[in-house]
Amino acid sequence: MKKKAISKAKWMQSIITFTCVLFVSVVGFQSTAMADETCMSPYMAKIVGQEDYVYVWTLGVEGMGDGQDKLVTLSVNPEADTYGKIVNVLSVGGRNEAHHSGLTDDRRYLFAGGLDSNKIFIFDVHTNPGKPTLHKVITDFVEKTGGMVGPHTMYALPGRIMVTALSNNVDHGGRTGMAEFTNEGDFIAAHWNPTDEDLRGAEKVGNAADGYGYDIRALPRRNVMITSSFTGWSNYMMDFGQMLGDAEAMKRFGNTVVVWDLHTRKPKKVFEVPGAPLEIRCAWGSNNNYCFTTTALTSKIWLIYEDEAGEWQAKDVGEIGDPSKVPLPVDISITADDKGLWVQTFLDGKTRFFDISDPFAPKQTYEHEIGSQVNMISQSWDGKRAYFTSSLLGSWDKTGEADEQYFKLFTWNGKKLSHEFTVDFYELKLGRAHQMRFGAYSLYSQKPNSSGVMLSQTK
Amino acid sequence: MTFSQRHIAYVINAVILFGVAGIVLTSENSHSSAETKTRVEESKHLYGPGDVKEGYDSPDYTTKTLDLQKRIGKEADLLQFVSNPPLGLPDVPVPEDNPVTKEKVSLGRKLFFDRRLSINDTFSCAICHIPEQGFTNNEIQTAVGVEGRSGKRNAPMIYNVAYLEIIFHDGRESTLEQQVWAPFLARNEMANPSIGYVINKIKAIPEYKGLFEQAFHGRGPTMETVGMALSAYQRTLNSADSPFDRWHFGKQEDAVSEQVKRGYELFNGKATCNACHLIHDDYALFTDNQLHNTGLGYLASMGVTTKTTRVQLAPGVYADLDNEVIKSVSRPKENDVGRYEVTQNPNDRWKFRTPTLRNVALTAPYMHDGSLHTLRQVMEFYNQGGVPNEVLSPLIKPLGLTDQEMDDVVAFMMSLTGSNVGTLVADAFAAPIGDISKDDPNWAHEKNIK
Ligand code: HEC
Ligand code: HEC
Repeated sequence: MKKKAISKAKWMQSIITFTCVLFVSVVGFQSTAMADETCMSPYMAKIVGQEDYVYVWTLGVEGMGDGQDKLVTLSVNPEADTYGKIVNVLSVGGRNEAHHSGLTDDRRYLFAGGLDSNKIFIFDVHTNPGKPTLHKVITDFVEKTGGMVGPHTMYALPGRIMVTALSNNVDHGGRTGMAEFTNEGDFIAAHWNPTDEDLRGAEKVGNAADGYGYDIRALPRRNVMITSSFTGWSNYMMDFGQMLGDAEAMKRFGNTVVVWDLHTRKPKKVFEVPGAPLEIRCAWGSNNNYCFTTTALTSKIWLIYEDEAGEWQAKDVGEIGDPSKVPLPVDISITADDKGLWVQTFLDGKTRFFDISDPFAPKQTYEHEIGSQVNMISQSWDGKRAYFTSSLLGSWDKTGEADEQYFKLFTWNGKKLSHEFTVDFYELKLGRAHQMRFGAYSLYSQKPNSSGVMLSQTK
Repeated sequence: MTFSQRHIAYVINAVILFGVAGIVLTSENSHSSAETKTRVEESKHLYGPGDVKEGYDSPDYTTKTLDLQKRIGKEADLLQFVSNPPLGLPDVPVPEDNPVTKEKVSLGRKLFFDRRLSINDTFSCAICHIPEQGFTNNEIQTAVGVEGRSGKRNAPMIYNVAYLEIIFHDGRESTLEQQVWAPFLARNEMANPSIGYVINKIKAIPEYKGLFEQAFHGRGPTMETVGMALSAYQRTLNSADSPFDRWHFGKQEDAVSEQVKRGYELFNGKATCNACHLIHDDYALFTDNQLHNTGLGYLASMGVTTKTTRVQLAPGVYADLDNEVIKSVSRPKENDVGRYEVTQNPNDRWKFRTPTLRNVALTAPYMHDGSLHTLRQVMEFYNQGGVPNEVLSPLIKPLGLTDQEMDDVVAFMMSLTGSNVGTLVADAFAAPIGDISKDDPNWAHEKNIK
């Protein structure tokens, strides 16, 4: 199964080094590290070169294996003897609706949320990157935040983690907010999303101020934070087919994107972006003051951008597949050069590459079927490796034969994807593979020796 | 029903509902205009979901979202609604061995809103019986429980459950005290593994220390006392003194509109609704406490499925999804044969209990499976004679009502919202919501979790 790593051209590497060092110094970090998957917080430490591990936050399936959620660690460095293999499985108890996870800015801890149980599991990934341990469990997220339910995105801010929520403890609907924790998992503050009744100083630009939440990204150089909106507990936990047939439930999806002041955490503008805008991906280029989001139900690409007058705007800039067929765009990933956007459409199992050189006119240039269903993608900073997983939500995944659960690596040569390996999560009785985060020894000045015991390495 | 019909029905409901809230307000309050304004603001929280979706069918839909931070409660003296039930209700039946006391009601209320009383600390009774949504859930047709497991039925309202002679849509339970253990233990509701699990958890939560002993003459939490406390709270949620009651029983001529009076005549005449939704001489519960087959359950079990389903994607945006696609993301749906599932008597197929119609304006979507979204849709269902089947109730037949007549009956049903709804809901808002804290039992709170 072992494949050769794609050797990188030396000059490419130095260009990347240069840009990253430049970028890192702009945001004021001492770190000399660089290169990373492309959708992370700019405040975060970067992986040097090849990632060693991918941590897959995995949903337990009732009646399969030990039936509980787990953090699955895969070895992905082609130089390693264990390449393409699972090297660690850490069961955490319960089916929490494992969903998203995020690393602290120093990348020492991985926060992984349960959309159902409201637990946040904090894993130590630095002591031994190949063998994460459970450091702490936050059980009182709802109590501490004053009623937020469904911890979703875990987003690194300096010394802190911002956690967006999806729902609330009153009606299990979509009104919610976000909360800040220290890197140790101590609660700092709750910020509720703007609603019509209390816009919290924001301007309602369109027809909607629904207070729903989902993803968050920051553009520190513009002092901006952007959030999107999905749906409440009753919908994201409900059987997908049942929900599609429930006309009341289908009215309860988010139609907003909010632009916030990053420093004061105050909402500035509420944009109407109909049809459940999910992931937000911001451009990296220092003059590219824009972010993309895609709407799950209406299958559109929206650009959230700063115009020449310095005002933030939201614009529908393109369609994904045939919106009348509801392909259900889910995870997206921007390339490091801001020229490409990968978009996964869950229902047809395809990944689609959009040329976004002109952010106002994305064009689909490539598509490839990854499996019978597909959700998440994580690509390496150089864009040459793209990892895919299958699960969307425990009750939304396909059923029967079509419920493939996998982790797949593809390489990308700029024109086409080539399959490297697949790990079948059902065959191994692990469950539903969801979000991926990268780990590397280089982050912690460590390198495994031949016996697998780690040695400290001075740079 | 066409798109525009449905839209109109929605608007009618909204307008009338708002009117009802308005009536309640003016009748309860005759103070300064500033005070009236804050009362109106507050009232918006009390009479419907805070995530307001009226008009969502239209591309011009505008949110009027209420803020959860402004969902503020006010405790009420609930015992008054037991000792002195609102106009239009008979005496409240109270079991001899479970008199309603202040301590029990306050304990029962605390239990009702405690999300820790489920296997994974996420489900209280109130998550399915949401106070401002008529103590039901306006936002989904059928209930969803722990881990998102599907229930096959719509959560009924808790108003006036003190008067139920048979409990649940299929009438399978007989007392409220017993009823509570069904949701506690059902895998698709609160999913507790055993009775003892619930009792032990309550004992281990510090806030409950001494509360049971105080309410039950020294008895701690037991299967019995938990049921008694919850029932005591639910027995106070009696709601009437509606515009209809004031007109009909209170003889206030102007308490309702002419349309409501016409609707009342139709309800008891041409539409024959009162054959099952009874109105007595000196009170009205709008139920005969019997079970009937209207054909709705038959349709769900036996009806032919279509090729596509119309799905709403955003305000004013729809798609016709291929049912094969929907099937690919559907887990098997449970069948519902109604009363038959209790008696095994084939004559009882698709029979469901007649629900009360009090506060029905607040409890959409309707029927045992939440399949009808507006009262206007319910009227059209009855007007066409339900759905014919071999065990259809002989009381259900085509009615020949005109559009205007159907609207009149809807207006009548809209006049059944009790005057104390605001008081009961505000009181519920004041109840503490039990969410797990560091002091509560959980394996993850142990010192060394590794
Ligand atoms: C998961 C959602 C859910 C939860 C949690 C829940 N209920 Fe219900 N409730 C329902 C549904 C659905 C029904 C109807 C079930 C049926 O008829 O088979 C119902 C029926 C009832 C009824 C009967 C009403 C009638 O008209 O017959 C009462 C009373 C009641 N629930 C009280 C409670 C109490 C008390 C709790 C907490 C201990 C609770 N419920 C928890 C969904 C829920
Ligand atoms: C044969 C007895 C019978 C007659 C006649 C009857 N109903 Fe009903 N009604 C029922 C039963 C039984 C249900 C519950 C059906 C179900 O859950 O599927 C019901 C349900 C309802 C509901 C839904 C309430 C809720 O909370 O979901 C409304 C509204 C209603 N009826 C109004 C009327 C009106 C108006 C009329 C006259 C046009 C009428 N009914 C005639 C027996 C009857």
